[in-house]
Order: sequence, then C-alpha cells, then structure tokens
Amino acid sequence: MNTLEINGLRKEYVDHYTGETIPAIGEVTFSIGEGEFVSVLGPSGCGKTTVLNIVAGFIDHTAGDVLVHGRSVHGPGPDRGVVFQSHALFPWKTVLGNVTFGLRMKGVPRAQRDVAAADILELVGLSGFERKYPHELSGGMQQRLGLARVLVNEPEVMLMDEPFASIDAQTRRKLQQDLTEIFEKRRPTVFFVTHDIDEAVFLSDRVVVLSHRPSTVAEIIDIELPRPRIWRETVEDPRFREYTHHIEERLGGGEPDAQAG
Amino acid sequence: MTTMTPPAAPTRTPVRVPLWRRFGTALLAHPAVRTLGPFVPFLLIWWAVAAAGTVNAAFIAGPVEVWQSFTELVRKGMMPSYLGDSLERLAYGVGFGLLIGLPLGFVVALSSWARRLTWPLLLFFQAIADIAWLPILIVWFGFSLTSVTFVIVYTVVFPLMLGIVAGVDQVPRELVNAARSLGAGRLRVFFEVIVPGSLPAVASGVRTGLGYGWRALIAAEIIVGTSGIGFMMFDARRAGEVSQVFLGMIVLGVLWYALDALILAPFERATVERWGLVRQMEAAR
Repeated sequence: MNTLEINGLRKEYVDHYTGETIPAIGEVTFSIGEGEFVSVLGPSGCGKTTVLNIVAGFIDHTAGDVLVHGRSVHGPGPDRGVVFQSHALFPWKTVLGNVTFGLRMKGVPRAQRDVAAADILELVGLSGFERKYPHELSGGMQQRLGLARVLVNEPEVMLMDEPFASIDAQTRRKLQQDLTEIFEKRRPTVFFVTHDIDEAVFLSDRVVVLSHRPSTVAEIIDIELPRPRIWRETVEDPRFREYTHHIEERLGGGEPDAQAG
Repeated sequence: MTTMTPPAAPTRTPVRVPLWRRFGTALLAHPAVRTLGPFVPFLLIWWAVAAAGTVNAAFIAGPVEVWQSFTELVRKGMMPSYLGDSLERLAYGVGFGLLIGLPLGFVVALSSWARRLTWPLLLFFQAIADIAWLPILIVWFGFSLTSVTFVIVYTVVFPLMLGIVAGVDQVPRELVNAARSLGAGRLRVFFEVIVPGSLPAVASGVRTGLGYGWRALIAAEIIVGTSGIGFMMFDARRAGEVSQVFLGMIVLGVLWYALDALILAPFERATVERWGLVRQMEAAR
C-alpha cells in the first residue's frame, strides 16, 4: 500500500464577484511510497500549494480521494505534518516548546519529550538553542526548527510547502544539503512542493511536474541519482543536467518562474 | 523610549563631547529625572501664580497649601479611608468587568453567529456614555456601591471585548493550521494558540478599559458619592476648600500614573514586544 495516494483530485473555486466556477486543479493523480521523497513542481499559480493544502486538510476538494495508508483524509491531523514556507512557529514558545508541541498534544510524558527533542534538535543542528525564542533565530534556523517540530512527531507523511523559498540563496543550499542528509538517515515519507527545478531534482526520488492552471500531472520523472547525494558532486553528474533540462523544457521554454511565490 | 541618542560622531575624526554635555545627557537619561522632570516647570508656574496673589485665594491654592491639606487629611485618616474606598470600588468593578468581558469577548470573537448577533448591540451600547446610565441606576439601586460598580463594569467590558475581537482576528491562520496538523484539537488550539496569540491586543484592551473605568469611578463618586476621592473633591468644593479640590485632582493623576507605569504598561509591552517583533520579521521577508 502506498503511504499517500491522490486519485483524480479536483478543486473548483467560486468567484465571489462573477459567481463563476473556476477550476484550480483539473485532475491530479499520483502516489508516494513509504520512505519516498517526491517533489511537486510547477509554474507559479499552478495550484501545487493547493494540492498540498488539500492533503494537509486545510481546504476541501471538489472531487477525488486523498488517502493516507488507505484512510480517507478529513481535516488536519498529526499523521500529516506540515512544514510551512512562513515557518509558522509559535512566537511565544521557546525552541523546546515548539519542538515538543506535537508530543505534548499526543500526551507523551515530559521526560520522554525532552529526550526526543534533544535528539531531533541535534539532528537539525539546533542543540544549545532550546531556551531561545523563534525571533532570536535566523531565517534558516527558524526553518530547521519548523522541520524538527514535524520530524519529532513522526508523521506518516511530511508535507513541505516551499520551505526554503523565503531563505537567502547561500543558506538555502546548506539547508537542501542538510535536508538530504536527514532524509537519508531517517527515511521519512516526503511530499515537497517547490518551483525550483534544481532543488526538486537534487532532493527527490521522483518529481511530479504539474501543468498550468487548471493543473494536471504533465509528467512523473524518476530521479535515478545515487545516494548519498552531495550538492557539489550531484550537480556534476551529467544525468542531473539531463533531468533539469528536460523539466525546463517540459515547463515551457526553459523559463520557469524565477520569482514565484 | 530611548529618545536620548548620543551626538552623531563623524566617521573619521571623533569629536570630544564636552564634559558638561555628557553629564547632562546622563542626567536626562536617568529614569527618575525623565519621569519627574517635566513636572518641575509645571510646579514652578503653579507656585508662582498662586504666590503672586493676582488670583483670589478662593479660586486657587498653591502647592504649599495643597501639601498642607494632604498631610492634614492623612493625619485625620480621611485620605487613606477615601482612597481605600475608591480603590476598592475600582477593584470590584474591574474584577467583575474582566469576569464578564473576557469570556464574552472570546465567544464573540470566535463564533461567527455570535458576532453577527451581538455586533450591532455592542456598538449601540458602547455609544451610551457610562455615566448616562447613572440616573436609571440610581432609580434601580439607589446611591449604592452597586450603582458605582455597574458603571465601572460597563466601561471596562466594551473596550475589553473589542480588544479581544481585534486580537483574535490578528492571530495568523497558519499558526492555527500548524497546531492542528501537530495534533491539537479545538480546545488545545484555543488555549495554546488563540489565547497567547491575542494576548497583546487583550492587554491593550485591559489597559484601555481600566483607564476608562478609573475616570468613570470618579464621575460616579461625584454624583452617587458617599465617600471616595471623587466625593471628597465635590464635598470640598461645597465647603470652599479649594486646596482639597486640587489635592483630589493630583491624587487621581498620581495614582493612575503609578498603576499604568508600574503594572499595565510593562505587561502590555512584554507581550507586544515579543509578538510584534516576530510579526515584523515575517513582514520584512
């Protein structure tokens, strides 16, 4: 059984002014296996974040099924952890308070929570920052915390919504490298939304390319680059360039949205 | 507020700041000087006007006379007892005001049908000035503590409720989503996200409400009064004791200043600063 299955997903909006029905997602079908890293890539405004928000349970869909381990999804739940582009950390909680939030909701005793938190903070490189507040951290560190908060909860699938889009280019490289290492160590199941082709190819086992609105799956590409992946070496691999060129063409004229949001 | 910025030094050759100027800067930066300093010229002018004798002593009392009547009233025990009465009424009014306003505010803020139902009422009753209730309250409850408490509760509840509604609306949707996808149910979302997220606005609401309540109390005491600072002032007017009228005004100012500067403002600042800073960072991105 696949960890996440999306079958014939459709989404329509009703425009409040004209009363027209606007299709946002035409028809999206794909699945993610256990321990697989799958990126959803597409031009800006193509509805890739909408797909993620539906899977997360934040918004309803018009037709189709979203199944996690065969169970239909209704509303948000801890089986689907979300890493937000804006980090969405609790500003009034310390790093430790943010990381242990999910475990506290599950009723895990304090001693156990602290052990798990120490372990995960070590993994994302935030050891020693337990007592800091989010606003005392840099953007990159905030997103490490956003990642740790979800990882420690051990969701069945992790949903990452352009998590590095608002972070400066240099830090982004480092975060991509670290995310790959964390993924290779822990093998969570990841649904990753991005508009950055290099990022998608570098991180993923498979890349789902969406078309323009109303989005449909244009192509699903298996990325057969060896792991462990190291940025400097992986980009030298001729297959890396083949994949990125292929996707660029697929997205239309090698001009993907440079400043997408 | 740190309004005292050191003189801008040129980038290359640092200018030596004269000693007197550095001393002056340090003195002005001292909290006691910053707080009390602005009152010094005010006191001097007041004293000069009173001492000049151009204004009839029946209309104005100088700082010295006011101080004398203060010590006299303290010695007689009237000042402590009136002050105690006023503060007790304020505490009652604010206590009940919070008890009613906090839950009601969150209900109106969170439930869309409650908001639709009560919003016009809220705006309507907010528009009726607090003391405008006194005539009917006196009919109902007489010249009693109940009437005074009612007026204060009334003045506290509305700014508090409006503050809570504004605060809850400000809580970023994503924080609620984050909490829910980390396994928080409705109740946990309320206590873990909505309450702390709206705290800065609630704090301003409490502060505003208390400020209004304090003024309403004095007005109510003047009308209903059997004791209290407001009553003391009005009673002194009847007896022609201008110095006690002045004294009452000063006591009101000093008390509120202390309450605000020592308790309310730090509380509001502590919440607003941490929360606000985070919002600024997010907006800057």
